[in-house]
Amino acid sequence: MEEAIPRIVGEGNAPNTVRFWHNSNTIVLGCFQMAEQEVNFQACKETGTKVVRRFTGGGAVYHDHGNLNYAISLKRGHPLVPIDDLQSVFRKLSEGAVQGLRTLGVKAEFQPINDIQVDGKKVSGAAGSIRWGTVFHHGCLLVSSNLSILGRVLNVPQVKLADKHVASVQKRVTTIRDELGRNISTREVREAMIGGMEDSYGVVLEEGDLSRDELALADRLFESKYNLPEWNLERED
Amino acid sequence: MRSADYKAPGGKLVRVRLNEENGEILSLRLSGDFFLVPEENLGKLEKMLIGAPLREPELQMLVDRFFNATRVQSLGVTRDDLVKALLAAREGAGH
Repeated sequence: MEEAIPRIVGEGNAPNTVRFWHNSNTIVLGCFQMAEQEVNFQACKETGTKVVRRFTGGGAVYHDHGNLNYAISLKRGHPLVPIDDLQSVFRKLSEGAVQGLRTLGVKAEFQPINDIQVDGKKVSGAAGSIRWGTVFHHGCLLVSSNLSILGRVLNVPQVKLADKHVASVQKRVTTIRDELGRNISTREVREAMIGGMEDSYGVVLEEGDLSRDELALADRLFESKYNLPEWNLERED
Repeated sequence: MRSADYKAPGGKLVRVRLNEENGEILSLRLSGDFFLVPEENLGKLEKMLIGAPLREPELQMLVDRFFNATRVQSLGVTRDDLVKALLAAREGAGH
């Protein structure tokens, strides 16, 4: 779905779209990453974690049911993102999520290049692209994710941790639940995200179903790309 | 096999794995958590660098040529970072 929607939006056959979704335990690799460097396959086996590759750059993220993902597809030239500059896109299209988190009481801030942080800890990472006639931005929010599994399945290079002055990936990330000190559902966070985007962008989001074109294209992409180890593990492009 | 993991200052990680002979690149894989759009262009850069000498002026010229010809946009990694990562791999031990 993640690739099908921006393609169809770019063709002009679907409206500008925000999609919310979540996965069971999965590592999602950035499109330029090498699986054997980023993934602890033994820990994946032990925890039932799958590995897939997305079509956008950036770093590997861990998803589970305590995670909320959002994806924004805007037809190129949309007034919110008038310039084709990826850093501006990340900044602008993170604003809605930052605003949503703040309404929940989380002191979130956008941290370039592509993170949302609370007191120096990452609560959300984003990635995106400009292609197929679409400006695309997606992000994942750690709502109540299992950070101990996250710390086991991802091999975070020491050079990155050292640069950020922390000893482990677990000390660099946080969840919305931990920041609020209470249990919170992904549904509640989704409602806050919708409100944050509507306020930040001066729009009204309308709930809608995926079109037949989008569903058919998603099926084709799954069969020809996202279900294949050549793509997920090897980056055969 | 020579390799380097190069962290761009304030940016992202570029990993280089390459085979060289007599100072020329025989094969090459660039990976990392940077952004480059449109994404399919990274493979073009890898192809352009095959046969290139592992020397700064030639690498700089090829990387510049790639950016100018493809009009790609990178984020988290600059042209200079890519050249530095390749030169680091020249010195890097095999994995």
